[in-house]
Formats: sequence, C-alpha cells, structure tokens
Amino acid sequence: MERVSFWKKIKKIWDSSRRLPIIPIIIMSVIIVCALFADLSWLGLPDIRLAPYEANEMSLGDRLTPPFFMPGGSTEHILGTDNIGRDILSRMIYGARVSLSVSVLVILIASVIGTILGMSAGYARGRTEAFIMRVTDAAMAFPALLIALLLAVSLGPSFSTVVLALSALSWAPFSRMMRGEVVRIREEDFVAQARITGASPARILIKHIFPNVVNTLVVMMTMSVGLVILIEASLSFLGAGVPATTPTWGSMASEGRDKIARGWWISLFPSLAIGLVVLSCNFLGDWIRDKMDPRLRQL
Amino acid sequence: MARFIIIRIFQTLVTLIVISMVVFALARASGDPVMLMAPAQASLADIEALRQYLGLDKSIPEQYWVFLKNVAKGDLGESIRTRRPVATIIGERLPYTIQLSLPAIFIGLFVSLILGVTAAVKRGTWIDTAVKFIAILGQALPSFWLAILAIQIFAVSLQWLPTSGTGGLDHYILPVLTMSFFMLPIMTRLIRSSMLEVLDSEYVKLARIKGLSEMWVVWKHALRNAIIPLLTAAGITFATIVTGAVIIETVFAWPGIGRLIAEAVIGRDFPVTQAVVLLVAVVVLMVNLLVDILYAYVDPRIRY
Repeated sequence: MERVSFWKKIKKIWDSSRRLPIIPIIIMSVIIVCALFADLSWLGLPDIRLAPYEANEMSLGDRLTPPFFMPGGSTEHILGTDNIGRDILSRMIYGARVSLSVSVLVILIASVIGTILGMSAGYARGRTEAFIMRVTDAAMAFPALLIALLLAVSLGPSFSTVVLALSALSWAPFSRMMRGEVVRIREEDFVAQARITGASPARILIKHIFPNVVNTLVVMMTMSVGLVILIEASLSFLGAGVPATTPTWGSMASEGRDKIARGWWISLFPSLAIGLVVLSCNFLGDWIRDKMDPRLRQL
Repeated sequence: MARFIIIRIFQTLVTLIVISMVVFALARASGDPVMLMAPAQASLADIEALRQYLGLDKSIPEQYWVFLKNVAKGDLGESIRTRRPVATIIGERLPYTIQLSLPAIFIGLFVSLILGVTAAVKRGTWIDTAVKFIAILGQALPSFWLAILAIQIFAVSLQWLPTSGTGGLDHYILPVLTMSFFMLPIMTRLIRSSMLEVLDSEYVKLARIKGLSEMWVVWKHALRNAIIPLLTAAGITFATIVTGAVIIETVFAWPGIGRLIAEAVIGRDFPVTQAVVLLVAVVVLMVNLLVDILYAYVDPRIRY
C-alpha cells in the first residue's frame, strides 16, 4: 500500500511539472537577467555589472585557463579563459544580449510583415492572394542563411544589418499561416454580418478577424524564437554577424574552433548555451501552443 | 496538365527575374565597384575610363540589362580577390559540394525513414519518445557544434579520422555524417506525422484485414502513401542542405560552394557572393518547379 501511494505521488508531481515547463522557464529567466544586467551601461552605470569581468577585458597571464573543475582551473575564471585571456563566462553573459535582442526584434518585424501580408492575401483572395502567396513560397524555399550572408556583405556588418537580414525571409511562415487562418475565418457568419453592416475590409480584418487569429500568432512567435537564435549564431559563426567587438555565442564558438585541442571549453560552453536556450524556447513554445491553440500540434 | 506546367514555368521565370533584380540592387548598394577594383594610385581619368570600360556610366536599367545578358552568357563577373572568372571558380567548387551532399542526403533519408516509420508504428512507446528526443535535440543544437565535437572526438582524441580537408575516403566520413544528421530531425518529424495519418486510413485497415503481414502493410502499403506529402517538403529540405553545406564545409575546410560563399563574405567579395546566391536561387526554383509538376502528376486534385 505504501509503495502504490508513493508512486502515485511521484506521478502527480511528474504530471504537474509537465503542465508547467519549469526548467525552460528557469533557463530563460536566467538568460533574460544576464542580458539585462550584464552591465548597467544602458542606465548610465557601466561599472555595476553582473558579469565578473568586462567583455573584452584581457588578462594575458591567465591565457587558456581551464574551467574551475579541471586541474589548473580556478574560481577566478569559472568557465575558463580563451587564448588571449578573456573570461568565457563574462563573454557569454554579454553574448546573451545579442541573441535575445536580435531574436525579439526579428520576430516582431517578421510577425508584423507576415501578418499584414498573410491576412490581406487570405481576405482579398483572387490575384492579390496568388501574387502574395507566390512571393511567400519563394521566400520559404530560399535558404535564409544565404540571403543573410548576401545582405551582410552588401550593407556591411552591424546590428541593424543582422536584424534586417534575418527579417528578410522570416516573415514568410507567418504570412502562410495567417493566410490559412483568415481563409477559414472569413467564411464565418460574423464576418458576413460585419460586411453587411458596411464595415470596411480594414475594419473587418482588424476588429473582427484579428482577435480570432492572435492566439495562433503568439504561438508561432514563441516557436520561432529558437530558430532565429540558431540562424543568428550561424551568421556570427561565419563572421557575418554583429561586429567582432561585441561577443556573441556564435562568434565565440567560431573563435574556439581551431583551439579545440588545447581549450575545448572556449567553443563548448557558448554552443551549449545556444542549445539550451533553443531547447527551452522550443519547449516553452510547445507548452504555449498546447495552452492556446492545440490544433497546431503536429508531432 | 500542359496548361498547369506552362503556368508554373511562367511563374518560375517571373520569380527568377524578381530575385535577379533584388540581387542586382544589392550589388549596387554595396558601394561603387569601380572604387573597389581601381588601384589606390589610379588618377580620376583612369577611374572614369574603368567606369566606362565596365559599363557603369550607363543608366541603372541599362546596367541591369547588361547584367542579365552577361548572366545568360554564363559570364558572372570576376572575383575581386583572385581576379578569376566567377563561373570558373564555381565550376571547380561545385563537384566537391555534390560529392558531399549526395551521400549525405541518401544516408539522411534512409535513417530518417527508419526512425520516422518505427516511431509512428510504435507510437507512444519508449522508441517513439527516443526518436522524438533525437529530433528535438537535433533541431536545437547548432550544427557547427556537432561538427566541432565530431572533430574533437574522432580526429583529435581518437585520431581515427582526418580533422579536415579532402583526400581519401576517410576524409568523407565526418562531413557526410554530420551533414546527414543535420537534415535528420526535420525529415524524421515529417515522415512520422505523415505515416501516422496513413496508418489510420481505411486501406491500411483493409490490408490488415486481408491478413497481410505487418511488415508488408507498413513498409509497402503505408509507406508508399506516406511519402507523397514529403515531396512538398523537398524545397524546404533543399534549403536545409544548402545551409548545412555552408556551415559544415567551413568547419571541415571542404573546398565546396558552401565554403566559397563563407570565404567570399569574409573577404567582402561581392561578385562571388552574388553569383552563388543566384545559382542557388535558380536551383531552388527548379527543384520547386519539378516538385510541383511531380505532385500534380501523382495527385490530380492539385491541377487547376
């Protein structure tokens, strides 16, 4: 009897933990705190910082220090240092800024463009729809990384280039999803009624249809965060991301690539951070989808 | 059917023209090519002469027309760094990418078929969970990390395989395997969900009632129908492969198209970047056109 109730208790805890993705929430909170408080230069207080060292601070005496749990490592540099003595942990804390700000901006831009295009296509039907959807299909099929590389070369590396380059194609999935939703909803009676009372197409789309698709939109936005972070990291890895003075996880992994035999930690920890954040975003996205819009479940 | 094919070819041409315009506009946005090409000690008159020689004194529409004519002739311009014709460089690099991606696609498809079908058949068991786990992990981990890790384990620590570069058959193992792993998650997910749908259908039930063996039902009747939706995903899969090629060729120092574009980006070599993007655009559009025609052929409901 004791045994059964014990297992039931375990199962109950397991079930409730499945309802709320605790681990992803903790990971994402930590990352957001890191991004905000890496230092407080945005409040005019660059000396107050969460990162133990400045991002580009070199201590040449401590080159290639291994992480603290390895022989030769110390708690002064918890995750070790790279080949010019920069603290890996501090650079990772600063790197969270780039990943988060780029992905949030890109997803805002992409979702606005995609929603406007997709909703207009779904509501207008006919030639407008055919045209918008052909462009969408072309944008979906085209490798995002290539267009991002092309833009990075032609406009020169900067934060806004990266945001522009990643937004250039990311709107397409939003457009396709929104079109599908609007095509379905525009046949509903309440839309017909709004039309009869003389509401303009813009008013119908904003006031009557948009509230019905906003759940789907939020789900898609959450599910896309991980993908955008991955592409940003690949871009940085290839040297076409934000300028090299700003540390990013992708560029750190790239810098450690040819030093892997002497210092595997240089590229391992940033790559691990990318993996953890993308995984957390995907789990959070799954959870939000199940809560808000279970129809979208595929796997 | 003929009407459908003609319309689709026409649409493809229109898309191609739009893409070429975008690429051309970006080329002009990247700065004055004359300034990039002219030597530092060139006089103003020299620069003017070069501008005329390159046809850059003409109006933008005229320049676009010349650009189109050159592309049609196979003249993709000259690399800023090496001064060699871009078409020649691409011709040298392309075989390496094909040698790498064809086996990778084959292995990736084969493994994801086995994983996806098994997961669908054993739905809800630990096998399904394990496959889901691999798919989720594979989509989250950056592909360059997997390549770096593979080099660290198999080339640096165990010294079984070469770290990078080209050569004998052993040089292919790591890049091909990491590349096929790169496309595994998305393919496995697609196959699993499409297979689940088919396994629930009437004809599969009928095949079971007829008393056919489970093996036969799953791998013949069900799989054949589950593959059709995969066709539409071919375009997206191709995009994944191109992205994978850029990263994996860079990590493994593999002299293919992917590394070419990565080098061109770092060297700010615009003609090369532009040509590779155009080439990929053409291939992407051709793949999509082919897939659409094939799809309409397999499933008559698609045709207009």
